[in-house]
Amino acid sequence: MSAAGVAPTAVVAGRPSRDIGIALTVAALWLLLALFVVYPLVMLFARMLGMLGGRGSVDFGALLALLTDRNQLRAFWNSLLLAFLVGTVGTLAGFLFAFTATRCRLPRAAVTAIDASVLLPLVSPPFTTAIAMIFSFGPRGLITYGVFGLKGYTVYGLGATLFSEALTYFPIAYLTLRPILTAIDSNIEGMAQSLGASRWRVFRTVTLPLTVPGIANAFLLLFAASLADFATPLILAGNSFPVLPTQAYLQITGLFDLRGGAALSFALLVPALIVFLLQRYWVSRRFYVTITGKGAGQTPFDSVSPGGRIVLIASVISITVVVAYFYALLLYASLVVALGANHTPTLAHYRVIFTDGWNAIRDTLIIAGFSMPLGGLYGILLGYLVTRHRFPGRRTMEAVSMMNYALPGTIVGIAYLIAFNDPPLVLTGTALIIIACYVFRYGPTGIRATVALLQQIDPSLEEASQGLGARSGTTFRRVTLPLIMPAFFAGLGIVFIRSMTAISATIFLVSISWTLITVKILEDITELSLGPAAAFSVLVVVIVFVVVAGISRVLREFRAPGAPGVSLFGG
Amino acid sequence: MSGTAMGVDVDRVSKRFAHRVKGEVYAARDVTLRVQPGEFLTLLGPSGCGKTTTLRMIAGFERPDAGRICFGNDDVTGVPANRRNIGFVFQNYALFPHLSIFENVAYGLRVRGEPEDAITRAVSDVLALVGLGAHEQQFPAQLSGGEQQRVALARAIVIRPRVLLFDEPLSNLDAKLRVQMRHEIRDLQRRLSITTIYVTHDQEEAMAVSDRIAVMNQGRVVQEGTAEDLYHRPATQFVAQFVGRVNLIAGVVQTINGRSATIAALGRAIVARPSPCDLIAGDSVQIALRPEAIAIAQTSAPGSLQATVLSSVFLGDKVEYLVRCGDETLQVARYNAGPTTPLAAGTAVGLSFAEDAVVVLRISRESAT
Repeated sequence: MSAAGVAPTAVVAGRPSRDIGIALTVAALWLLLALFVVYPLVMLFARMLGMLGGRGSVDFGALLALLTDRNQLRAFWNSLLLAFLVGTVGTLAGFLFAFTATRCRLPRAAVTAIDASVLLPLVSPPFTTAIAMIFSFGPRGLITYGVFGLKGYTVYGLGATLFSEALTYFPIAYLTLRPILTAIDSNIEGMAQSLGASRWRVFRTVTLPLTVPGIANAFLLLFAASLADFATPLILAGNSFPVLPTQAYLQITGLFDLRGGAALSFALLVPALIVFLLQRYWVSRRFYVTITGKGAGQTPFDSVSPGGRIVLIASVISITVVVAYFYALLLYASLVVALGANHTPTLAHYRVIFTDGWNAIRDTLIIAGFSMPLGGLYGILLGYLVTRHRFPGRRTMEAVSMMNYALPGTIVGIAYLIAFNDPPLVLTGTALIIIACYVFRYGPTGIRATVALLQQIDPSLEEASQGLGARSGTTFRRVTLPLIMPAFFAGLGIVFIRSMTAISATIFLVSISWTLITVKILEDITELSLGPAAAFSVLVVVIVFVVVAGISRVLREFRAPGAPGVSLFGG
Repeated sequence: MSGTAMGVDVDRVSKRFAHRVKGEVYAARDVTLRVQPGEFLTLLGPSGCGKTTTLRMIAGFERPDAGRICFGNDDVTGVPANRRNIGFVFQNYALFPHLSIFENVAYGLRVRGEPEDAITRAVSDVLALVGLGAHEQQFPAQLSGGEQQRVALARAIVIRPRVLLFDEPLSNLDAKLRVQMRHEIRDLQRRLSITTIYVTHDQEEAMAVSDRIAVMNQGRVVQEGTAEDLYHRPATQFVAQFVGRVNLIAGVVQTINGRSATIAALGRAIVARPSPCDLIAGDSVQIALRPEAIAIAQTSAPGSLQATVLSSVFLGDKVEYLVRCGDETLQVARYNAGPTTPLAAGTAVGLSFAEDAVVVLRISRESAT
């Protein structure tokens, strides 16, 4: 046992891989990444550059003309403005919820109620609140027309889009901020108090500064989500407030101008990429580690005055009531003939979606059913390889795998459309193109969960297995896999939820043979058959809730005692 | 930096908690403490004995369900922590990770609205006092555990607190540093003569720093006194076992003659000075005997107890023996004055001890946990 024999294991986290199995897996993953991440983006870029120059030459002038077009410029700035406002409002609401949940000494049941109301927007198609907005504030809206009797009032525009997106995305901020507020050692706040600081001063000088990295993170996540959202503006923004993703969509579906759509979606890429890089490489390094020894499990710091507590709880309840109202309205609308006009109860809308809409339901379930295991497997394989094995280009592989996840769905969708419409690989019109899109776009959640989990598991566990003579395949199967099962199921869950609810990328990829519920809902909305749209939305929420509940149950089962936990909505 | 020292009176203070299984439990029950101005009192006890809860009530982090807490003549029972003017040092230091060392220490002064130049002077002085003058601009994460502990100490004393409170301040440090830091804390407290209440589960630490120690068990104070009192005159079996190591031997009171008693134990009559004075002949008792109070010799002197060595452990400064004496197994420690060879297992030995080394305890059902 010389010192030299000990040193390498102490320094090297992963080990050089000589196993043929590992090498083959790495090669296969590279091939898939090249095909489904790099190739479409290269094709998108090529199509955009060659857009008007025709045969081989690049016409920057025409590209510039499109990008500097007054309408498109306005759409660009509108997108940024909307994203900024959604980020601000959503982060505020998320902080309010997280602070109330962690600092108001609420009974357990109340915290569970908050969690449930926050979960609802997360598992719905992104435009669910948008439909409810129209039901409430539209031309024949329950509130504008029904209660106030307003005529000719128009809800469409920035306000409605902002409201709807903030309500849809604030749960992301809540889920980001809550663990951070929980992790702040209550002794630190108690210490500030014992030094003479009032509650407000403790909040201002200790709690808030310690949460700033989380707030920045939440803001960037919401900014990116809003920037990528095209369904909500499509329904609510109206003509007065064009945004980029919607413009790109209309350019392609309306004018069938694939090149113009490509260029517009590319303009989205710059802010999206900046936000992603900021979030990953700047904010993530600014988190303070405050968890030490005794902190957790102690009585929470008494940080809220009785009056403040009432204000906080009242605000949370009012937002929760709005969310609950929207979803109740959606359910109600699916069960009456025509909301706002004829409130006779009926199951007709459900009959419609299970007859005319049956294909969409079947296709969606088949696609989600295939995407889910593939995405989960892809997530843990790649996550495991990049954290536990050393091979050339390991960091690059991780970065490339994150691209489809980081980019707005519109870009990914258009890139797939361009890349797989022509030989060598024609996938347009198949289910495979949609499945591939989901796997490579949402599988990265599983990668991140796996990486996070593996970083908490000491490599010596695997070294012990190898020391006992197991090959890396055996070690993976017998030791690592059981430990990262939670990440696998978290990956499964996210891919399934997104397969059921996403639209921004896949709207470009549906065909006559394969369509999706979300696309069908959008069609229904544009055709003003709001009843079936509501029924579809309710169905999606119910299916997702059932599956998520099932997966959460399995997650609990699989979590070995003492093993680090993984949340379904963690990353 | 020393203000006028002020006493602390804790008067029949209780705190209940709702426990998921046991229902309502008392974390502290009728705790009464009188801390003299400038005194260093330690609350000593196993985890869960209520010492930290008591300290947190004195700090104002918890509100007692019953009882009164006074600083000097001030009743502070209902006063929140930020208006008690205390200095608190946490086990995990609780430094503000987002503030520099200077700003950490300055925090309490800024809250008090002191002028900038006074703050600068006070912070520099106190950092020099704890030996961290050069670290002002660093952040907590850049310091070692011992240095962080000193910052926490500086931050607590710079506001000239009426009372200084420590919650297991040394348990995150390694053994050597722990010994060094406890001397520093003791030294600083003497120089500043701040009334100090200190919580620890480490009896050696308690003995090293305190003027007086209050031993707590199951929410109550079971004995108060100096380190010598507790060690040589434990009032209960729990204190005897918790403070130091002890042999507890069953016995029966034979006779009481004034200030001494004869106890039948270890197969003979042992003369001892009983601590409970209400014993009568025939009572079942336990006698407590420290391992180092027993002399062990291979040649049995007249009057010594016959015993057999079961095992021995050489520990450098001493040898620890387990010996069999009648029905009892006893721990015996023999300190090494020079190179010695431990007695082998099976060796017949004679044991002897002084009369005043024997403590008679009533049998109680309370146990060390």
